[in-house]
Amino acid sequence: MTYDWSVIWQYRGALLSGVGTTILLSVLTMAIALPGGVLVMLMRRSPIAPVSWLGAAYVEFFRNVPAILLVYWTFYVLPIVAAIDIPPFTTGLLALALSVTAYNAEAFRAGVGSIRQGQWNAGLALGMTRSQTFLKIVLPQAVSRVVPAIANNWVSLFKNTSLVSVIAVGDLAYNAMQIRSQTYRILEVLTALAVIYWALGFPQAKFVDWLQKRYGVKE
Amino acid sequence: MTDAANSGRVGADRPPVILYEEVVKRYGGFVALNGVSARVHQGEVVCLIGPSGSGKSTLLRCTNALEAIEGGRIVFEGQTLPTPALAAPVRRRMGMVFQNFELFPHKSALENVAIGPRTVLGTAKAEAEEKAQALLVKVGLADKAASYPSELSGGQQQRVAIARALAMEPEVMLFDEPTSALDPETVGEVLNVMKRLAEEGMTMIVVTHEMTFARRVGSWVVVFDKGRVVEEGVPKQVFEQPREQRTRDFFSHLSWSG
Ligand SMILES: Nc1ncnc2c1ncn2[C@@H]1O[C@H](COP(=O)(O)OP(=O)(O)O)[C@@H](O)[C@H]1O
Ligand SMILES: [Mg+2]
Repeated sequence: MTYDWSVIWQYRGALLSGVGTTILLSVLTMAIALPGGVLVMLMRRSPIAPVSWLGAAYVEFFRNVPAILLVYWTFYVLPIVAAIDIPPFTTGLLALALSVTAYNAEAFRAGVGSIRQGQWNAGLALGMTRSQTFLKIVLPQAVSRVVPAIANNWVSLFKNTSLVSVIAVGDLAYNAMQIRSQTYRILEVLTALAVIYWALGFPQAKFVDWLQKRYGVKE
Repeated sequence: MTDAANSGRVGADRPPVILYEEVVKRYGGFVALNGVSARVHQGEVVCLIGPSGSGKSTLLRCTNALEAIEGGRIVFEGQTLPTPALAAPVRRRMGMVFQNFELFPHKSALENVAIGPRTVLGTAKAEAEEKAQALLVKVGLADKAASYPSELSGGQQQRVAIARALAMEPEVMLFDEPTSALDPETVGEVLNVMKRLAEEGMTMIVVTHEMTFARRVGSWVVVFDKGRVVEEGVPKQVFEQPREQRTRDFFSHLSWSG
């Protein structure tokens, strides 16, 4: 068996463009899923029962459905239901954002729940309303406590973007598979793919470790 | 209330700020306040003492409607207290100081003091911070304005908390065991600030285990046990000639008998 690693260099353009798409997809997904997560968390905390029920239903649905199914569903079913053409990148983004929003909502909910009643009382005792106390006192503290959990969600998301390759979005995994089918260099391509994901993901994981030390157990 | 019950009470001829009438508070089946009646007059320092678990903190939380009551009523400046959901306008007129300080950890000392007026009264930033700085001076922390709570000692944090409450220019201050969480060497600095406030004429309700403070600074002492007022009177009478056995029991448990 002979190896031909030159294919990797030969196709560096496609791999780099894949990396770019993967990063862009991750960033855009998180940009939607952060405010989305806060919104769903607020719904779950709503005193209006149907609203809080809707928030809970959202989380329980999207946390418990495989992300790949969401990717297929938004790609094949949504355009039919909505009767419009949606580019694969957008459907992939939507699928990931729906899923990560659910995870972020849970992280934010745990963060808000971890702020003790005394902080609420201190805000209320000054004459603040409940929503002022929430926005000025509770939420900022919850957000900093939630940083490690959100960072974890980010790392999972970064790897899970590879799921959109099944709907022909030109991310890193998809482009690598294209190179493989053109060159039949499966070992070289898959190895390179693993190395690239690892090289991108490892610093992120280390950064998360650092964040957990920095923000993790602190009162 | 009979004249005899108010005997020697200096503030009795002044208008009442807070009236408690047969206040009942339950947690599930547990009765935390079992028909509490008491009153606080303008400029008085009313000290609530009694065994732990007797309902003192609960009474304070009901006083500014952080918690609802199930029976009786609380009258503040002639108005019956609203339910907790509607109480924000009433709470801004009462200051509260907590056992665990409850400073906002993500805000500097100055911001902690300024946030009430800024958020609740819509005071401009510069004005609120100028006033906050003056209050920090007043509690002896002029140089700590930029410090965060985690950088301050317990006594310093509690003084910031007092300044934070004062920033709203309250008509009455509620203190819930303000020195219980402090290292012994920082208790004095907090009590001194409170004493100065009392001398300025602030109306205060103070839950405390600092019997010396209650004796020297208190103008009226209310003894609690099991959600009821056992006895009340001027400090001299309550501490030197307690009328009730349960008051004497409480005092005897306080002194160390090792
Ligand atoms: N949120 C609550 N839920 C249930 N029980 C409570 C709650 N808060 C206080 N209690 C109970 O009410 C009683 C009075 O408590 P508290 O007012 O804190 O007493 P004190 O301040 O005199 O030590 C205690 O037995 C306490 O366990
Ligand atoms: Mg207490």
